[in-house]
Amino acid sequence: MFKSKNFGLLISVAAIAAIVTQTLPAYAANPIPKRIISLSPSATETLFAIGAGKQVIAVDDLSNYPSAAPITKLSAFSPNVEALLNYKPDLIILNADATKALEIKAALEKLKIAVFLERAPDNLKQAYSEVTALGRITGNLTGAQSTISNMKSRISAAIKSARKTKKITFFHELDNTLYSATSDTFIGKVYKDFNLSNVADPAASADSAGYPQLQSEYLIKANPGIIFLSDAQYGESISTLMKRPGWNGIAAVKNKDVISLPEDIPSRWGPRLADFYEFIAKSISQIGTKK
Amino acid sequence: MKTASTESTLSPIWNWKITALSFALLFFVGILAVSFGPVSLDFMKIIKTLFGLPGGLNGQERTLLIDLRLPRALLAALVGAALATSGAVYQTVFRNPLADPYLLGAAAGAGLGATIAITSAGADLYSLLPIFSFVGAILAVLVSFFISGKFFAEPNSLLLSGIAVGSFATAVQTYLQQRNSSSLRPVYSWILGELTVANWQKVAWSSIYIFIALTILITVSKQLDGLMLTDEEAYSLGINPNRLRVIAVVAATLATATAVSASGLIGFVGIVVPHLVRGITHRVTNRGLLTIALVGASFLVLADLGARTLLSPAELPIGVITAFVGAPFFLVVLRKKRLVSK
Repeated sequence: MFKSKNFGLLISVAAIAAIVTQTLPAYAANPIPKRIISLSPSATETLFAIGAGKQVIAVDDLSNYPSAAPITKLSAFSPNVEALLNYKPDLIILNADATKALEIKAALEKLKIAVFLERAPDNLKQAYSEVTALGRITGNLTGAQSTISNMKSRISAAIKSARKTKKITFFHELDNTLYSATSDTFIGKVYKDFNLSNVADPAASADSAGYPQLQSEYLIKANPGIIFLSDAQYGESISTLMKRPGWNGIAAVKNKDVISLPEDIPSRWGPRLADFYEFIAKSISQIGTKK
Repeated sequence: MKTASTESTLSPIWNWKITALSFALLFFVGILAVSFGPVSLDFMKIIKTLFGLPGGLNGQERTLLIDLRLPRALLAALVGAALATSGAVYQTVFRNPLADPYLLGAAAGAGLGATIAITSAGADLYSLLPIFSFVGAILAVLVSFFISGKFFAEPNSLLLSGIAVGSFATAVQTYLQQRNSSSLRPVYSWILGELTVANWQKVAWSSIYIFIALTILITVSKQLDGLMLTDEEAYSLGINPNRLRVIAVVAATLATATAVSASGLIGFVGIVVPHLVRGITHRVTNRGLLTIALVGASFLVLADLGARTLLSPAELPIGVITAFVGAPFFLVVLRKKRLVSK
């Protein structure tokens, strides 16, 4: 667990770091990182898509895509500085929502390890600029640019193929206690791009982050034409929905327009966003055909 | 003649008019609760539907009332009654005004059970969440019993082992939660307390356990007063204090475990309501147990009405309301009580 040798090394590294930062007022131009640890499933997908995969030496326990990613037991949620040091990284992608992210960033930077703080994007534009930023910092800017243009063309094609003139209402279910996502959230904006109308929006004032808990009674009244289940992995499906009191009267349930969302894609704001847009496009174009 | 006149000037141990009044309160609050929701329904039609009169609600409106609002109000009433009564009983058994139904590790055990159900890899366990939390709560209390051993000699040792078992279960629960960060939100929303997914099935099974437990507790309520004396005094009244304590704790735990597994952790009801009833009536006797159950039921039905309407069409966690409303109200009662005793 605790090696005194390593600890001694750690202290000397820290000491050197302290001296170096004192003598050098500014960083020299950053060399291209060769030992990257990604503590973000979205960033992992982006890194591999832009051609930085070979530079990645370890990814966190939830980075399950692509299969080439060197998955480890490192936690993205509560990162451990010493466990990270074991890999001798030169760049760490840290999620801004991780426990004590800023303290961990400071500790790593003291040890002369570059840290890229990844923030959950609010919209597509921010998602793209994060891809660009990862490209720049890893020396794969051209790869990033071609990834982005590929995403852009696939996404606009998906929207064009499915955009309906008639307003369709939908409900995005986070769990069976009816938490949902409004149009203020990233995923809500994806649906908005398809001109769908979100039944959670009237409850937007209940949660500033955009994830209110809706009432069953309200949902039955709102009568959404399509239901997206992001809790399908927890066993929810059209048959469990039909068992909920009053739900068999909801149009989406009656017409079997209940869509089980794939497990990870809706929460990965990387290149697979295009997959998600295409999935939604396909789901919308099949509305009313399953009766 | 003389003894009879002195008796009449003494106030009775319990005034049953208060019990009748709290029955009326629960009935009134219940009607109020099913009358409000995101969809406005005709009040007279609601009444007609509830009493089976002609001219009631039809179709979807009827479903809303019968299958959504009614089971939810009933579940709130059951959970409120269970928590308030168990709280009162624990306070008597442990001779501790701060004792609450979650004291012997029931809450932590239920939390651990729920977290196991949520974080387990298999999707099937998620639907078994109520069973997992129920078993978790019972197991935690059983372990507390088993470890304390000397319970019969000293209730405090059970209390302490309950706290230790609770901390242990919380530690395991936190560990599991950290290892499965994707489960954070469902675990958190469970802990905040949920009546949102009430249905008749839930009402049916929880009412069985809660009725059994409350019937036992109300039947022994007269003897429970004996536990406020020393054990010698209790024996001289023909009460076996050790046996009574076991019966009371087992029944109260059954009620609590059922409530927790039906609705998650709803705080404050178990402490506030017993003190409220005792403070207002100036009676500490357990003969008020039925009244405490009824007031607990009314309190939670009302709190749930708030949870459903304050942010409509969104929900507010009910635990937030019980504490937000309960705490200041409780302080007023405490202060009045202090002024009276001065």
